[in-house]
Amino acid sequence: MIILEITGLTKNFGGITAVSNIDMKVNDGEVLGLIGPNGAGKTTFFNLITGVIRPTKGKVVYKGKDITSKKPHEIAELGIGRTFQLNPLFPNFTVLQNVLSSFQLRPRSSLLDIFFNTRAYRDNEAYILAQSLEILNLVGLYKVKDELAKNQPHGYQKMLGVARALAIKPELLLLDEPIAGMNPDEIDNTIEAIKRTSQLGVTIILVEHNMKILEICNRVIVINFGQKIVEGSPQEIKENPEVIKAYLGSGHDTKY
Amino acid sequence: MGLMITTRDAAGRRNKFTQILIYGAVICLLAVIPLISSSSYILHILILTLIYIIAAASMRFIITSGQIPLAHGAFMGLGAYVSGVLSKHFGISPWITLVIAALVAMGVGTFISFPFARLKAFYYSMISLFFGVGMLQTIESFGKLTGGITGITGIPTLFNTASKVPFYYFFLALMLISLLILYRLEVSRIGWNLKAIEQSYLVAGSVGISVVKYRVLAVAVGCFFAGLAGGMYATYNVTVSPVSFDMTATLWLIIYVTIGGMGNFAGPIIGTVVLFLLPKYYSGLKQYTPFISAVILFAVLYTFRDGLVSIPGLVASFYKKRKKGKRTN
Repeated sequence: MIILEITGLTKNFGGITAVSNIDMKVNDGEVLGLIGPNGAGKTTFFNLITGVIRPTKGKVVYKGKDITSKKPHEIAELGIGRTFQLNPLFPNFTVLQNVLSSFQLRPRSSLLDIFFNTRAYRDNEAYILAQSLEILNLVGLYKVKDELAKNQPHGYQKMLGVARALAIKPELLLLDEPIAGMNPDEIDNTIEAIKRTSQLGVTIILVEHNMKILEICNRVIVINFGQKIVEGSPQEIKENPEVIKAYLGSGHDTKY
Repeated sequence: MGLMITTRDAAGRRNKFTQILIYGAVICLLAVIPLISSSSYILHILILTLIYIIAAASMRFIITSGQIPLAHGAFMGLGAYVSGVLSKHFGISPWITLVIAALVAMGVGTFISFPFARLKAFYYSMISLFFGVGMLQTIESFGKLTGGITGITGIPTLFNTASKVPFYYFFLALMLISLLILYRLEVSRIGWNLKAIEQSYLVAGSVGISVVKYRVLAVAVGCFFAGLAGGMYATYNVTVSPVSFDMTATLWLIIYVTIGGMGNFAGPIIGTVVLFLLPKYYSGLKQYTPFISAVILFAVLYTFRDGLVSIPGLVASFYKKRKKGKRTN
Protein backbone atom coordinates (compact mmCIF):
# COMPACT_ATOMS: atom_id res chain seq x y z
CA MET A 1 0.00 0.00 0.00
CA ILE A 2 1.25 3.47 -0.85
CA ILE A 3 1.10 5.89 2.07
CA LEU A 4 2.66 8.98 0.44
CA GLU A 5 2.76 9.88 -3.22
CA ILE A 6 4.65 12.88 -4.53
CA THR A 7 4.37 14.03 -8.14
CA GLY A 8 6.42 16.74 -9.84
CA LEU A 9 7.32 18.55 -6.62
CA THR A 10 9.23 21.77 -7.41
CA LYS A 11 10.35 24.72 -5.31
CA ASN A 12 12.03 27.83 -6.67
CA PHE A 13 13.63 30.41 -4.39
CA GLY A 14 13.90 33.34 -6.76
CA GLY A 15 16.06 32.04 -9.59
CA ILE A 16 17.36 29.03 -7.67
CA THR A 17 15.58 25.72 -7.99
CA ALA A 18 16.02 23.98 -4.63
CA VAL A 19 13.81 21.02 -5.43
CA SER A 20 13.14 20.14 -9.04
CA ASN A 21 10.37 17.92 -10.32
CA ILE A 22 10.68 15.08 -7.82
CA ASP A 23 8.40 12.04 -8.09
CA MET A 24 8.33 9.43 -5.39
CA LYS A 25 6.16 6.80 -3.80
CA VAL A 26 6.48 5.66 -0.20
CA ASN A 27 5.16 2.24 0.81
CA ASP A 28 3.41 1.64 4.10
CA GLY A 29 5.81 0.42 6.79
CA GLU A 30 9.10 0.89 4.97
CA VAL A 31 12.21 2.83 5.97
CA LEU A 32 13.11 5.07 3.07
CA GLY A 33 16.48 6.81 2.96
CA LEU A 34 16.90 10.13 1.24
CA ILE A 35 20.56 10.91 0.80
CA GLY A 36 22.59 13.48 -1.02
CA PRO A 37 25.45 15.92 -0.48
CA ASN A 38 25.06 19.20 1.42
CA GLY A 39 22.73 21.61 -0.31
CA ALA A 40 21.06 18.90 -2.35
CA GLY A 41 17.61 20.08 -1.27
CA LYS A 42 16.74 17.41 1.28
CA THR A 43 15.59 19.68 4.09
CA THR A 44 13.63 21.85 1.66
CA PHE A 45 11.93 18.67 0.50
CA PHE A 46 10.84 17.93 4.09
CA ASN A 47 9.64 21.47 4.61
CA LEU A 48 7.53 21.14 1.47
CA ILE A 49 5.89 17.93 2.68
CA THR A 50 5.16 19.28 6.17
CA GLY A 51 3.73 22.59 4.99
CA VAL A 52 6.42 24.88 6.41
CA ILE A 53 6.95 26.26 2.90
CA ARG A 54 4.65 25.98 -0.10
CA PRO A 55 5.76 24.28 -3.31
CA THR A 56 5.95 26.21 -6.57
CA LYS A 57 4.55 23.23 -8.42
CA GLY A 58 3.58 19.64 -7.76
CA LYS A 59 1.37 17.61 -5.52
CA VAL A 60 1.71 15.71 -2.24
CA VAL A 61 -0.90 13.04 -1.60
CA TYR A 62 -1.03 11.35 1.81
CA LYS A 63 -3.29 8.29 2.11
CA GLY A 64 -5.30 9.38 -0.91
CA LYS A 65 -5.72 12.94 0.42
CA ASP A 66 -4.15 16.01 -1.18
CA ILE A 67 -2.13 17.79 1.53
CA THR A 68 -0.13 20.11 -0.74
CA SER A 69 -0.90 23.49 0.82
CA LYS A 70 -2.05 22.55 4.29
CA LYS A 71 -0.63 24.26 7.39
CA PRO A 72 1.99 22.51 9.55
CA HIS A 73 -0.40 21.78 12.44
CA GLU A 74 -3.01 20.33 10.07
CA ILE A 75 -0.40 18.00 8.61
CA ALA A 76 0.63 16.93 12.11
CA GLU A 77 -3.04 16.24 12.80
CA LEU A 78 -3.13 13.80 9.87
CA GLY A 79 -0.34 11.78 11.46
CA ILE A 80 2.86 13.04 9.85
CA GLY A 81 5.51 13.70 12.47
CA ARG A 82 8.88 15.28 11.83
CA THR A 83 12.12 16.23 13.51
CA PHE A 84 14.32 19.20 12.80
CA GLN A 85 17.97 19.26 11.93
CA LEU A 86 18.76 22.22 14.19
CA ASN A 87 17.17 23.26 17.50
CA PRO A 88 14.73 20.37 17.53
CA LEU A 89 13.14 21.20 20.90
CA PHE A 90 11.76 23.72 23.37
CA PRO A 91 15.00 24.72 25.13
CA ASN A 92 13.50 26.15 28.34
CA PHE A 93 11.24 23.18 29.07
CA THR A 94 12.49 20.07 30.83
CA VAL A 95 12.91 16.90 28.80
CA LEU A 96 9.61 15.58 30.12
CA GLN A 97 7.80 18.86 29.51
CA ASN A 98 9.02 18.77 25.93
CA VAL A 99 7.27 15.46 25.37
CA LEU A 100 4.19 16.43 27.40
CA SER A 101 3.66 19.59 25.41
CA SER A 102 4.03 17.64 22.19
CA PHE A 103 0.87 15.67 22.99
CA GLN A 104 -1.62 17.97 21.31
CA LEU A 105 -3.73 15.72 19.17
CA ARG A 106 -4.23 12.24 20.55
CA PRO A 107 -5.85 12.80 23.03
CA ARG A 108 -7.00 16.35 22.46
CA SER A 109 -8.81 18.57 24.97
CA SER A 110 -11.04 21.44 23.94
CA LEU A 111 -10.19 24.97 25.08
CA LEU A 112 -13.21 25.04 27.40
CA ASP A 113 -12.27 21.70 28.96
CA ILE A 114 -8.76 23.02 29.55
CA PHE A 115 -9.95 26.30 31.02
CA PHE A 116 -12.47 24.79 33.41
CA ASN A 117 -10.11 21.94 34.36
CA THR A 118 -12.82 19.36 33.77
CA ARG A 119 -12.55 15.68 34.54
CA ALA A 120 -12.06 14.89 30.83
CA TYR A 121 -9.07 17.24 30.67
CA ARG A 122 -7.51 15.86 33.84
CA ASP A 123 -7.96 12.30 32.59
CA ASN A 124 -6.32 13.25 29.31
CA GLU A 125 -3.38 14.83 31.13
CA ALA A 126 -2.90 11.78 33.33
CA TYR A 127 -2.93 9.54 30.25
CA ILE A 128 -0.46 11.87 28.50
CA LEU A 129 1.92 11.73 31.47
CA ALA A 130 1.97 7.93 31.39
CA GLN A 131 2.47 7.87 27.62
CA SER A 132 5.28 10.44 27.77
CA LEU A 133 7.20 8.40 30.32
CA GLU A 134 6.81 5.37 28.08
CA ILE A 135 8.17 7.24 25.07
CA LEU A 136 11.12 8.54 27.11
CA ASN A 137 11.85 4.95 28.06
CA LEU A 138 11.74 3.91 24.42
CA VAL A 139 14.32 6.49 23.33
CA GLY A 140 16.41 6.10 26.49
CA LEU A 141 15.96 9.56 28.00
CA TYR A 142 14.02 8.57 31.14
CA LYS A 143 17.00 9.25 33.40
CA VAL A 144 17.24 12.93 32.42
CA LYS A 145 13.52 13.64 32.28
CA ASP A 146 13.56 16.45 34.84
CA GLU A 147 16.53 18.35 33.43
CA LEU A 148 16.28 21.32 31.12
CA ALA A 149 16.33 20.35 27.46
CA LYS A 150 18.90 23.00 26.54
CA ASN A 151 21.44 21.54 29.00
CA GLN A 152 21.43 18.14 27.31
CA PRO A 153 24.24 16.94 25.03
CA HIS A 154 23.66 17.11 21.29
CA GLY A 155 22.84 13.42 20.94
CA TYR A 156 20.17 13.58 23.65
CA GLN A 157 18.63 16.67 22.07
CA LYS A 158 18.31 14.86 18.76
CA MET A 159 16.72 11.85 20.45
CA LEU A 160 14.36 14.18 22.26
CA GLY A 161 13.36 15.49 18.84
CA VAL A 162 12.41 11.94 17.87
CA ALA A 163 10.53 11.50 21.16
CA ARG A 164 8.54 14.67 20.49
CA ALA A 165 7.67 13.51 16.99
CA LEU A 166 6.49 10.17 18.40
CA ALA A 167 4.16 12.01 20.78
CA ILE A 168 1.82 12.93 17.95
CA LYS A 169 1.45 9.17 17.28
CA PRO A 170 2.58 9.43 13.68
CA GLU A 171 1.98 6.93 10.93
CA LEU A 172 4.65 8.62 8.84
CA LEU A 173 7.77 9.98 10.50
CA LEU A 174 10.19 12.32 8.75
CA LEU A 175 13.63 12.42 10.35
CA ASP A 176 15.88 15.27 9.28
CA GLU A 177 19.52 14.18 9.72
CA PRO A 178 18.93 12.14 12.90
CA ILE A 179 22.60 11.20 13.33
CA ALA A 180 24.36 14.34 12.13
CA GLY A 181 27.10 15.47 14.52
CA MET A 182 26.85 12.42 16.77
CA ASN A 183 29.68 10.26 18.05
CA PRO A 184 29.79 6.55 17.08
CA ASP A 185 28.11 5.39 20.32
CA GLU A 186 25.25 7.83 19.91
CA ILE A 187 24.88 6.81 16.28
CA ASP A 188 24.47 3.16 17.28
CA ASN A 189 21.88 4.07 19.93
CA THR A 190 19.93 6.25 17.54
CA ILE A 191 19.89 3.62 14.82
CA GLU A 192 18.65 1.12 17.40
CA ALA A 193 15.85 3.51 18.44
CA ILE A 194 14.86 4.10 14.81
CA LYS A 195 14.69 0.36 14.23
CA ARG A 196 12.45 -0.08 17.28
CA THR A 197 10.19 2.73 16.07
CA SER A 198 9.95 1.12 12.66
CA GLN A 199 8.93 -2.16 14.28
CA LEU A 200 5.98 -0.33 15.86
CA GLY A 201 4.59 0.01 12.33
CA VAL A 202 5.64 3.59 11.67
CA THR A 203 6.69 4.43 8.12
CA ILE A 204 9.94 6.39 8.20
CA ILE A 205 11.63 8.71 5.73
CA LEU A 206 15.17 9.63 6.71
CA VAL A 207 17.23 12.48 5.35
CA GLU A 208 20.96 12.02 5.77
CA HIS A 209 24.19 12.57 4.02
CA ASN A 210 25.98 10.15 6.25
CA MET A 211 26.15 6.83 4.38
CA LYS A 212 26.09 4.85 7.60
CA ILE A 213 22.33 5.21 7.90
CA LEU A 214 21.90 3.07 4.78
CA GLU A 215 22.06 -0.16 6.77
CA ILE A 216 18.54 0.28 8.16
CA CYS A 217 16.84 1.46 4.98
CA ASN A 218 14.70 -0.77 2.76
CA ARG A 219 15.13 1.59 -0.14
CA VAL A 220 17.27 4.63 -0.86
CA ILE A 221 16.73 7.65 -3.09
CA VAL A 222 19.67 9.87 -3.94
CA ILE A 223 19.11 13.57 -4.55
CA ASN A 224 21.62 16.04 -5.95
CA PHE A 225 21.01 19.64 -6.96
CA GLY A 226 17.32 19.19 -6.20
CA GLN A 227 16.90 16.28 -8.60
CA LYS A 228 16.40 12.60 -8.02
CA ILE A 229 19.38 10.86 -9.56
CA VAL A 230 19.06 7.22 -8.49
CA GLU A 231 16.67 4.98 -6.59
CA GLY A 232 17.34 1.43 -5.39
CA SER A 233 18.34 -0.88 -2.60
CA PRO A 234 21.18 0.22 -0.27
CA GLN A 235 23.58 -2.23 -1.94
CA GLU A 236 22.82 -0.94 -5.44
CA ILE A 237 23.25 2.64 -4.28
CA LYS A 238 26.67 2.00 -2.74
CA GLU A 239 27.97 0.67 -6.04
CA ASN A 240 26.25 3.13 -8.36
CA PRO A 241 28.80 5.23 -10.30
CA GLU A 242 26.46 8.27 -10.36
CA VAL A 243 26.27 8.31 -6.56
CA ILE A 244 30.00 7.97 -6.18
CA LYS A 245 30.38 10.83 -8.61
CA ALA A 246 27.95 13.01 -6.62
CA TYR A 247 29.80 12.40 -3.37
CA LEU A 248 33.42 12.17 -4.49
CA GLY A 249 33.51 14.10 -7.74
CA SER A 250 34.17 12.65 -11.19
CA GLY A 251 37.21 10.61 -12.25
CA HIS A 252 39.57 13.19 -13.65
CA ASP A 253 39.68 15.06 -10.32
CA THR A 254 41.55 12.14 -8.83
CA LYS A 255 44.25 11.89 -11.51
CA TYR A 256 46.88 13.77 -9.51
CA MET B 1 -2.24 19.05 36.47
CA GLY B 2 -0.46 17.20 33.76
CA LEU B 3 2.11 19.64 32.52
CA MET B 4 2.41 21.13 35.96
CA ILE B 5 2.81 17.68 37.47
CA THR B 6 1.40 18.55 40.84
CA THR B 7 2.97 16.53 43.57
CA ARG B 8 0.31 14.54 45.34
CA ASP B 9 2.43 13.81 48.42
CA ALA B 10 2.13 15.44 51.82
CA ALA B 11 4.79 18.07 51.16
CA GLY B 12 2.97 19.23 48.06
CA ARG B 13 -0.32 19.45 49.91
CA ARG B 14 1.29 21.41 52.76
CA ASN B 15 2.80 23.78 50.22
CA LYS B 16 -0.56 24.33 48.63
CA PHE B 17 -2.12 24.91 52.04
CA THR B 18 0.41 27.62 52.96
CA GLN B 19 -0.11 29.20 49.54
CA ILE B 20 -3.85 29.41 50.06
CA LEU B 21 -3.24 30.80 53.54
CA ILE B 22 -0.96 33.55 52.20
CA TYR B 23 -3.34 34.51 49.40
CA GLY B 24 -6.24 34.55 51.86
CA ALA B 25 -4.32 36.80 54.22
CA VAL B 26 -3.42 39.25 51.44
CA ILE B 27 -7.02 39.39 50.22
CA CYS B 28 -8.32 39.96 53.77
CA LEU B 29 -5.77 42.73 54.26
CA LEU B 30 -6.86 44.40 51.04
CA ALA B 31 -10.49 44.05 52.06
CA VAL B 32 -10.08 45.82 55.41
CA ILE B 33 -8.00 48.75 54.15
CA PRO B 34 -11.04 51.06 53.65
CA LEU B 35 -12.13 50.30 57.23
CA ILE B 36 -8.75 51.30 58.66
CA SER B 37 -7.93 54.32 56.59
CA SER B 38 -10.47 56.98 55.76
CA SER B 39 -8.07 58.94 53.58
CA SER B 40 -9.60 59.17 50.13
CA TYR B 41 -6.17 59.91 48.66
CA ILE B 42 -4.85 56.50 49.66
CA LEU B 43 -7.97 54.85 48.29
CA HIS B 44 -7.55 56.77 45.03
CA ILE B 45 -3.99 55.47 44.63
CA LEU B 46 -5.07 51.94 45.49
CA ILE B 47 -7.92 52.02 42.98
CA LEU B 48 -5.55 53.13 40.22
CA THR B 49 -3.13 50.39 41.27
CA LEU B 50 -5.88 47.80 40.94
CA ILE B 51 -6.70 49.04 37.42
CA TYR B 52 -3.08 49.03 36.29
CA ILE B 53 -2.44 45.58 37.77
CA ILE B 54 -5.09 44.21 35.40
CA ALA B 55 -3.45 46.03 32.47
CA ALA B 56 0.08 44.88 33.36
CA ALA B 57 -0.91 41.27 34.03
CA SER B 58 -2.79 41.07 30.73
CA MET B 59 0.21 42.56 28.92
CA ARG B 60 2.43 39.89 30.39
CA PHE B 61 -0.02 37.23 29.20
CA ILE B 62 0.59 38.36 25.61
CA ILE B 63 4.35 38.48 26.26
CA THR B 64 4.38 34.78 27.27
CA SER B 65 3.47 33.95 23.67
CA GLY B 66 6.62 35.79 22.49
CA GLN B 67 4.77 38.79 21.11
CA ILE B 68 5.60 42.17 22.65
CA PRO B 69 2.43 44.28 22.58
CA LEU B 70 3.43 47.90 22.01
CA ALA B 71 -0.17 49.10 21.87
CA HIS B 72 -1.36 47.96 25.27
CA GLY B 73 -1.75 51.50 26.61
CA ALA B 74 -3.66 52.41 23.45
CA PHE B 75 -6.01 49.44 23.93
CA MET B 76 -6.68 50.66 27.45
CA GLY B 77 -7.46 54.01 25.85
CA LEU B 78 -9.79 52.37 23.35
CA GLY B 79 -11.65 50.74 26.23
CA ALA B 80 -11.82 54.00 28.14
CA TYR B 81 -13.13 55.95 25.15
CA VAL B 82 -15.67 53.30 24.14
CA SER B 83 -16.98 53.21 27.67
CA GLY B 84 -16.93 56.99 28.04
CA VAL B 85 -18.55 57.85 24.70
CA LEU B 86 -21.26 55.20 24.95
CA SER B 87 -22.29 56.12 28.46
CA LYS B 88 -22.11 59.88 27.99
CA HIS B 89 -23.47 60.43 24.47
CA PHE B 90 -25.67 57.37 24.05
CA GLY B 91 -26.96 57.07 27.59
CA ILE B 92 -26.00 53.44 28.05
CA SER B 93 -25.50 52.36 31.65
CA PRO B 94 -21.80 52.33 32.64
CA TRP B 95 -22.23 48.78 33.92
CA ILE B 96 -22.93 47.66 30.37
CA THR B 97 -20.35 49.91 28.69
CA LEU B 98 -17.68 48.35 30.89
CA VAL B 99 -18.35 45.00 29.22
CA ILE B 100 -18.68 46.55 25.74
CA ALA B 101 -15.33 48.33 26.21
CA ALA B 102 -13.60 45.02 26.94
CA LEU B 103 -15.28 43.28 24.00
CA VAL B 104 -14.47 46.07 21.53
CA ALA B 105 -10.81 46.09 22.59
CA MET B 106 -10.76 42.31 22.18
CA GLY B 107 -12.30 42.54 18.72
CA VAL B 108 -9.90 45.20 17.48
CA GLY B 109 -6.94 43.35 19.01
CA THR B 110 -7.93 40.14 17.25
CA PHE B 111 -8.38 42.03 14.00
CA ILE B 112 -4.86 43.45 13.97
CA SER B 113 -3.13 40.32 15.29
CA PHE B 114 -4.68 37.89 12.82
CA PRO B 115 -2.79 38.86 9.63
CA PHE B 116 0.56 38.81 11.43
CA ALA B 117 0.13 35.71 13.55
CA ARG B 118 1.75 33.51 10.89
CA LEU B 119 4.94 35.57 10.79
CA LYS B 120 7.75 35.94 13.30
CA ALA B 121 6.51 37.48 16.55
CA PHE B 122 8.59 40.58 15.84
CA TYR B 123 6.11 41.73 13.19
CA TYR B 124 3.30 41.82 15.71
CA SER B 125 5.36 44.18 17.86
CA MET B 126 5.92 46.45 14.87
CA ILE B 127 2.30 46.55 13.75
CA SER B 128 1.03 47.03 17.28
CA LEU B 129 3.35 50.00 17.70
CA PHE B 130 2.03 51.71 14.56
CA PHE B 131 -1.55 50.71 15.23
CA GLY B 132 -1.45 51.95 18.79
CA VAL B 133 -0.24 55.40 17.75
CA GLY B 134 -2.68 55.51 14.84
CA MET B 135 -5.65 54.42 16.93
CA LEU B 136 -5.15 57.23 19.42
CA GLN B 137 -4.83 59.80 16.62
CA THR B 138 -8.07 58.50 15.10
CA ILE B 139 -9.88 58.76 18.42
CA GLU B 140 -8.62 62.32 18.82
CA SER B 141 -9.76 63.30 15.35
CA PHE B 142 -13.42 62.48 16.10
CA GLY B 143 -13.58 65.72 18.04
CA LYS B 144 -17.35 65.94 18.40
CA LEU B 145 -17.67 62.62 20.18
CA THR B 146 -14.33 62.33 21.92
CA GLY B 147 -13.51 65.95 22.64
CA GLY B 148 -10.25 65.87 20.67
CA ILE B 149 -7.07 66.65 22.55
CA THR B 150 -8.89 67.74 25.71
CA GLY B 151 -10.85 64.49 25.99
CA ILE B 152 -14.24 63.72 27.48
CA THR B 153 -15.44 65.02 30.82
CA GLY B 154 -18.52 64.22 32.85
CA ILE B 155 -18.70 60.51 32.15
CA PRO B 156 -21.46 58.82 34.21
CA THR B 157 -20.04 56.79 37.08
CA LEU B 158 -20.95 53.39 38.42
CA PHE B 159 -21.84 54.54 41.93
CA ASN B 160 -23.53 57.85 42.58
CA THR B 161 -21.73 58.63 45.82
CA ALA B 162 -18.80 60.84 46.68
CA SER B 163 -17.22 57.96 48.55
CA LYS B 164 -14.56 55.87 46.83
CA VAL B 165 -15.20 52.79 48.96
CA PRO B 166 -17.72 51.06 46.62
CA PHE B 167 -15.34 51.59 43.71
CA TYR B 168 -12.56 50.06 45.72
CA TYR B 169 -14.50 46.90 46.55
CA PHE B 170 -15.93 46.49 43.08
CA PHE B 171 -12.56 46.96 41.37
CA LEU B 172 -10.85 44.68 43.88
CA ALA B 173 -13.33 41.97 42.95
CA LEU B 174 -12.82 42.61 39.23
CA MET B 175 -9.05 42.46 39.65
CA LEU B 176 -9.21 39.18 41.57
CA ILE B 177 -11.47 37.62 38.95
CA SER B 178 -9.25 38.85 36.11
CA LEU B 179 -6.10 37.53 37.78
CA LEU B 180 -7.82 34.22 38.49
CA ILE B 181 -8.75 33.84 34.81
CA LEU B 182 -5.28 34.81 33.60
CA TYR B 183 -3.65 32.47 36.11
CA ARG B 184 -5.88 29.59 35.15
CA LEU B 185 -5.03 30.17 31.48
CA GLU B 186 -1.32 30.34 32.22
CA VAL B 187 -0.95 27.14 34.25
CA SER B 188 -3.16 25.10 31.93
CA ARG B 189 -2.15 23.53 28.64
CA ILE B 190 -3.10 26.81 26.92
CA GLY B 191 -0.34 28.68 28.73
CA TRP B 192 2.17 25.93 28.03
CA ASN B 193 1.33 26.00 24.35
CA LEU B 194 1.94 29.76 24.32
CA LYS B 195 5.32 29.24 25.96
CA ALA B 196 6.11 26.51 23.45
CA ILE B 197 5.29 28.86 20.56
CA GLU B 198 7.48 31.52 22.13
CA GLN B 199 10.46 29.14 22.14
CA SER B 200 10.04 27.81 18.60
CA TYR B 201 6.99 28.28 16.45
CA LEU B 202 8.33 25.79 13.88
CA VAL B 203 8.61 22.98 16.41
CA ALA B 204 5.25 23.97 17.92
CA GLY B 205 3.60 23.69 14.50
CA SER B 206 5.20 20.31 13.86
CA VAL B 207 3.52 18.75 16.90
CA GLY B 208 0.11 20.10 16.00
CA ILE B 209 -0.14 23.39 17.90
CA SER B 210 -1.99 25.87 15.72
CA VAL B 211 0.39 28.81 15.96
CA VAL B 212 -2.10 31.29 14.50
CA LYS B 213 -4.93 30.22 16.79
CA TYR B 214 -2.90 30.46 19.97
CA ARG B 215 -1.19 33.74 19.10
CA VAL B 216 -4.54 35.34 18.27
CA LEU B 217 -6.01 33.87 21.45
CA ALA B 218 -3.22 35.41 23.53
CA VAL B 219 -3.74 38.84 21.99
CA ALA B 220 -7.54 38.58 22.26
CA VAL B 221 -7.42 37.71 25.97
CA GLY B 222 -4.77 40.36 26.66
CA CYS B 223 -6.70 43.08 24.84
CA PHE B 224 -9.97 42.08 26.54
CA PHE B 225 -8.46 42.84 29.93
CA ALA B 226 -6.73 45.97 28.65
CA GLY B 227 -10.13 47.20 27.45
CA LEU B 228 -11.69 46.27 30.77
CA ALA B 229 -9.01 48.21 32.64
CA GLY B 230 -9.62 51.19 30.34
CA GLY B 231 -13.36 51.03 30.91
CA MET B 232 -12.81 50.90 34.67
CA TYR B 233 -10.54 53.91 34.43
CA ALA B 234 -13.17 55.91 32.51
CA THR B 235 -16.08 55.22 34.85
CA TYR B 236 -13.93 55.86 37.90
CA ASN B 237 -12.00 58.91 36.75
CA VAL B 238 -15.01 60.57 35.02
CA THR B 239 -12.64 62.28 32.57
CA VAL B 240 -10.62 60.65 29.82
CA SER B 241 -7.97 62.35 27.72
CA PRO B 242 -5.61 61.01 25.04
CA VAL B 243 -2.44 61.84 27.00
CA SER B 244 -3.25 59.15 29.57
CA PHE B 245 -2.98 56.44 26.92
CA ASP B 246 -0.20 57.47 24.57
CA MET B 247 3.06 55.61 23.96
CA THR B 248 4.27 56.61 27.44
CA ALA B 249 1.42 54.64 29.00
CA THR B 250 2.51 51.53 27.12
CA LEU B 251 6.11 52.10 28.18
CA TRP B 252 5.05 52.43 31.81
CA LEU B 253 3.25 49.08 31.54
CA ILE B 254 6.38 47.49 30.07
CA ILE B 255 8.40 48.93 32.96
CA TYR B 256 5.94 47.53 35.53
CA VAL B 257 6.21 44.10 33.94
CA THR B 258 10.00 44.21 33.61
CA ILE B 259 10.72 45.42 37.14
CA GLY B 260 8.41 42.83 38.63
CA GLY B 261 9.71 40.04 36.41
CA MET B 262 8.41 38.77 33.10
CA GLY B 263 9.00 35.13 33.87
CA ASN B 264 6.57 34.94 36.76
CA PHE B 265 2.84 35.49 37.11
CA ALA B 266 3.37 37.65 40.19
CA GLY B 267 5.88 39.86 38.33
CA PRO B 268 3.58 42.50 36.88
CA ILE B 269 1.56 42.64 40.11
CA ILE B 270 4.62 43.34 42.24
CA GLY B 271 6.08 45.71 39.66
CA THR B 272 2.89 47.76 39.49
CA VAL B 273 2.47 47.92 43.26
CA VAL B 274 6.07 49.00 43.83
CA LEU B 275 6.15 51.64 41.14
CA PHE B 276 2.68 52.95 42.00
CA LEU B 277 3.06 53.18 45.73
CA LEU B 278 6.68 54.34 46.02
CA PRO B 279 6.16 57.75 44.35
CA LYS B 280 3.36 58.55 46.78
CA TYR B 281 5.88 58.56 49.63
CA TYR B 282 8.09 61.11 47.98
CA SER B 283 5.20 63.16 46.66
CA GLY B 284 7.26 66.32 47.10
CA LEU B 285 9.44 65.09 44.25
CA LYS B 286 6.57 64.35 41.92
CA GLN B 287 8.22 65.85 38.87
CA TYR B 288 11.12 63.45 39.30
CA THR B 289 8.95 60.31 39.18
CA PRO B 290 10.14 59.20 35.72
CA PHE B 291 13.74 59.74 36.77
CA ILE B 292 13.41 57.80 40.00
CA SER B 293 11.54 55.01 38.21
CA ALA B 294 14.32 54.81 35.64
CA VAL B 295 16.90 54.48 38.41
CA ILE B 296 14.85 51.69 39.99
CA LEU B 297 14.55 49.99 36.61
CA PHE B 298 18.30 50.11 36.02
CA ALA B 299 19.09 48.96 39.55
CA VAL B 300 16.69 46.03 39.33
CA LEU B 301 17.76 44.92 35.87
CA TYR B 302 21.42 45.21 36.81
CA THR B 303 21.13 43.16 39.99
CA PHE B 304 18.16 40.83 39.37
CA ARG B 305 17.70 40.25 35.68
CA ASP B 306 14.50 38.30 36.28
CA GLY B 307 12.87 41.09 38.21
CA LEU B 308 11.88 41.60 41.83
CA VAL B 309 10.02 38.27 42.01
CA SER B 310 13.31 36.38 41.62
CA ILE B 311 14.68 37.72 44.94
CA PRO B 312 13.19 35.03 47.26
CA GLY B 313 14.50 32.29 45.00
CA LEU B 314 17.96 33.83 44.86
CA VAL B 315 18.08 34.22 48.64
CA ALA B 316 16.97 30.62 49.13
CA SER B 317 19.57 29.25 46.73
CA PHE B 318 22.26 31.42 48.38
CA TYR B 319 21.51 29.91 51.80
CA LYS B 320 21.34 26.42 50.35
CA LYS B 321 24.73 26.87 48.76
CA ARG B 322 26.22 28.19 52.01
CA LYS B 323 24.79 25.27 53.94
CA LYS B 324 26.22 22.85 51.43
CA GLY B 325 29.62 24.59 51.58
CA LYS B 326 29.68 24.26 55.38
CA ARG B 327 28.85 20.59 55.24
CA THR B 328 31.69 19.78 52.88
CA ASN B 329 34.23 21.76 54.90
